[in-house]
Amino acid sequence: MNAAACYFVNGMESETSAIARGLRRRDPDLLDRLIEQYQHRLLRYLLYLTSNRELAEDMFQETWIRVLERGHQYDPKYEFSTWLFSIARNLTVDYLRKKKPASLDGLLDEEEGVSLDPPDLRPSPLELLAQHEQAERISEALTGIAPEYREAIVLRFQEGLALGEIAAVTGAPLGTVKSRLYRGLNALLPRLKGAQA
Amino acid sequence: MIRDRHQQAQELIACGLRDLSLSQQAWLRTHLDECASCRDYAQAAEQFVRALRSVPVVADRALVRTTQMRVHLRSRQLLQRRERLWLVWMSCVLVGLSVAITTPFLWRGWEWLAERAHLSSPVWQVGFMIFWLSPALAASLLFLARGIHLTDANGTSRG
Repeated sequence: MNAAACYFVNGMESETSAIARGLRRRDPDLLDRLIEQYQHRLLRYLLYLTSNRELAEDMFQETWIRVLERGHQYDPKYEFSTWLFSIARNLTVDYLRKKKPASLDGLLDEEEGVSLDPPDLRPSPLELLAQHEQAERISEALTGIAPEYREAIVLRFQEGLALGEIAAVTGAPLGTVKSRLYRGLNALLPRLKGAQA
Repeated sequence: MIRDRHQQAQELIACGLRDLSLSQQAWLRTHLDECASCRDYAQAAEQFVRALRSVPVVADRALVRTTQMRVHLRSRQLLQRRERLWLVWMSCVLVGLSVAITTPFLWRGWEWLAERAHLSSPVWQVGFMIFWLSPALAASLLFLARGIHLTDANGTSRG
């Protein structure tokens, strides 16, 4: 490993170690900082996972409560975001199972005819109109594909997680993650092309 | 065979360049130079990723503040629970210590009283056992009653 890479890895480790220490102490200031830092990424992931803004916001709050309660279980060897997303995912899947016995894979039936909540765009000026339309187009296309494909695509391309990290979050083998990405993208691209046409 | 190469290339594109080895990247680059359909696929994927990242999904301030407030509240509750548990443990330790220290003296005291009262050994020993166990029994019954009362109040028992 070269010096720059070594410095980067050490830097990341010391940051995750600091987070782990703070979580073990249940340090409220650290949690405030983490909530601020990961607010958009976590909500975005939950929104695409649940396709429901209200539920995503509930799960957002529950996730942070769980982070507080189970903070001692965080292993600083891994990125904090990976652990955070896996908590959010488990909570959401548990909630949906309780509501209706089904796994994440079974979400698709519930979503038929329901469009993904549009992103939180406040009344926007004209220059944001095109962006808003594009966001809706992407949301609709994403809603149309299987939830497990959508999840893999959002984690990979929006949140920038590595394949191994996606496997850790979803609990799926690496090969399955790769195939979900491939199939998801194959299902998605024609939809986007169709929407543009 | 040709189809396999296209599929392989598209699988690599779907995984994203970041996780590919140098040899995979080199192979993919060569393939894209030769294959127009895979090049289109790669461009479409790139456009999608760019568009996806430009979608402005944001958490509003109210949600963040409410979450922080709930986390603080729960943190206080957990702290109080930990303090209560610590008190219970400390009480147990102190009671255990005091029992270990005082029992021999009490035993001798009861023996002396029994001698003065001309009681037989089994009688005063049974009396001592009742005297010795009664506080623990009373406390157990009290905790049990309180436990049942609390579960009733929460509506989680006696289905």
